[in-house]
Amino acid sequence: MSDLEGRRVLLVEDESLVAMLGEDMLLDLGCEVTVAMRLEKALALARNEAFDMAILDVNLGETVSYPIADVLFERCIPFIFATGYGTSGIAPTYNAIPVMQKPYQLGQMATLLKHLLNCETLVRKGGAPGTGVSCTCALTPGRTGPTAIRID
Amino acid sequence: MPGAVRPAPSTRNHSVDHGLRSESPIDEMPGPPRRGALENASLVPSRGPIASYDTATTTLPTLRRGSQLHETERRLNAVLNNASVAIFLMDDRQHCVYMNRAAELLTGFSLTEVLARDCPLHDIVHHTYPDGRPFPLHECAIDRAFPENNQERGEEVFVHKDGHFYPVGFTASPIRDDGAKIIGTIIEVRDITEEKAAAERQRLLTNELNHRVKNTLATVQSIAAQTFRSRTDQVARAVFDARMVALSNTHNVLTAENWESAGLRSVVESALAPHALAEIDTARFDLVGPDTRLHPKVAVTLALALHELMTNAAKYGALSVPEGRVAVHWTLTRIGAGEQLDMTWTETGGPAVTEPTRRGFGSRLIERQLPMEFDGTAVIAYPPTGVVCTLKIPLTTLGWHGRDVVLGRDAR
Repeated sequence: MSDLEGRRVLLVEDESLVAMLGEDMLLDLGCEVTVAMRLEKALALARNEAFDMAILDVNLGETVSYPIADVLFERCIPFIFATGYGTSGIAPTYNAIPVMQKPYQLGQMATLLKHLLNCETLVRKGGAPGTGVSCTCALTPGRTGPTAIRID
Repeated sequence: MPGAVRPAPSTRNHSVDHGLRSESPIDEMPGPPRRGALENASLVPSRGPIASYDTATTTLPTLRRGSQLHETERRLNAVLNNASVAIFLMDDRQHCVYMNRAAELLTGFSLTEVLARDCPLHDIVHHTYPDGRPFPLHECAIDRAFPENNQERGEEVFVHKDGHFYPVGFTASPIRDDGAKIIGTIIEVRDITEEKAAAERQRLLTNELNHRVKNTLATVQSIAAQTFRSRTDQVARAVFDARMVALSNTHNVLTAENWESAGLRSVVESALAPHALAEIDTARFDLVGPDTRLHPKVAVTLALALHELMTNAAKYGALSVPEGRVAVHWTLTRIGAGEQLDMTWTETGGPAVTEPTRRGFGSRLIERQLPMEFDGTAVIAYPPTGVVCTLKIPLTTLGWHGRDVVLGRDAR
């Protein structure tokens, strides 16, 4: 039994077929998936719904998913980026966020999501890789919403 | 300066309708060499001998200090000599009678040199084709622009004083005298070397992108072929290949348009054609609807959706029997700055339809992904007479609807 079983995951991906693939992979990992393919819908979900973690495609056609990342930061919901460009394609502000390389692979996805659940720290906006902020909601499945952040 | 250029008081018999006219009365100046009509009509900045030009700064001739036109002249000099575009004033014989500082920098010639040559400007800056052939004046597009129309535009290749060729964009407009008779030409010229180079880089990049996309699709296809080699996978492979081809065909349409947008009709036709080189079978398909421009993402998803409908029709529906027909009808309704596409796929003449018990890739793509991707709706109905699929796709929701709307769209 995967410890990803039953986790609620927000998947933001603007390409139909890629979103379909990502959704199937997350379902195979036992997650509950909510897919958003457009920025406005993803923002509304990120603000109002309960998620344990999220996968954000960086490039959403005409826009990028950073505003969603900022909402997730505020709500202490851990997330990873997905991109075909590699880490160099991510704005420096977000370079502490784990990056999943496209095309999607089940193994890579599972490893990164488990890392989000198990790591002691939640990365901080603007932080260097490896630096982080302790955040209890990163450890407690199901808890969402504003949480006191203790800076190490 | 906030104040507009004031017209001179009309106490003297000089009109200032062209702004460049010298106020200096002819009788106060030494006799100028009388040449083309432009100079005779007093349009040329200089009424004096050529030597009175200050060619170091390419100014209009100095006017009497304190005159009403002195200020006007100073402003004009400031405008002309600080303009980054080269400006040439030509007489009716195509001789250059004035050029600004940008024009001197562009051509490598000073105004003094050009005036001293006493020949059409063409013979100084435009005398040779880039391939080395002589370029006679009568073949020159700029010369032909003279003297009929305002703001005649074009591109040419000029020859610099040092012998190198450079591409330019020009705008030529006639200058008229008080009687509306054309007495000269004003020509603006820009060096477009950088634009040309940028356009060429863009073209190479687009070609490279097209090439790589195609190669990547072919590679994926090959990997799939190697992976699904066993006999039992043959059906799956055929379906997979057909989907890859549908995707590839849509990319053909997009490639033809440089990935900017795709024509709705050509997307529909290429999606429903049996293969890339074949025409759509008009005996079986009835396509009715206006053309419009589609965002590349809409084009790809719509083409894949139509491919799935067609595959399903060929296997179970109207296209599985010779007498079956498919009508694809669509309308465009203006909404806000864009349009909404309402498209209906209606099958008739096929075997009696029953609703499938299991939903596959096609219905998932159409009924779930397509509305989510474009904020539209999609319904597939299964009446006994034939499958009916109804799509509503707002073509504005990506903030992008073809090239035209992109340019006029509000920044987000």
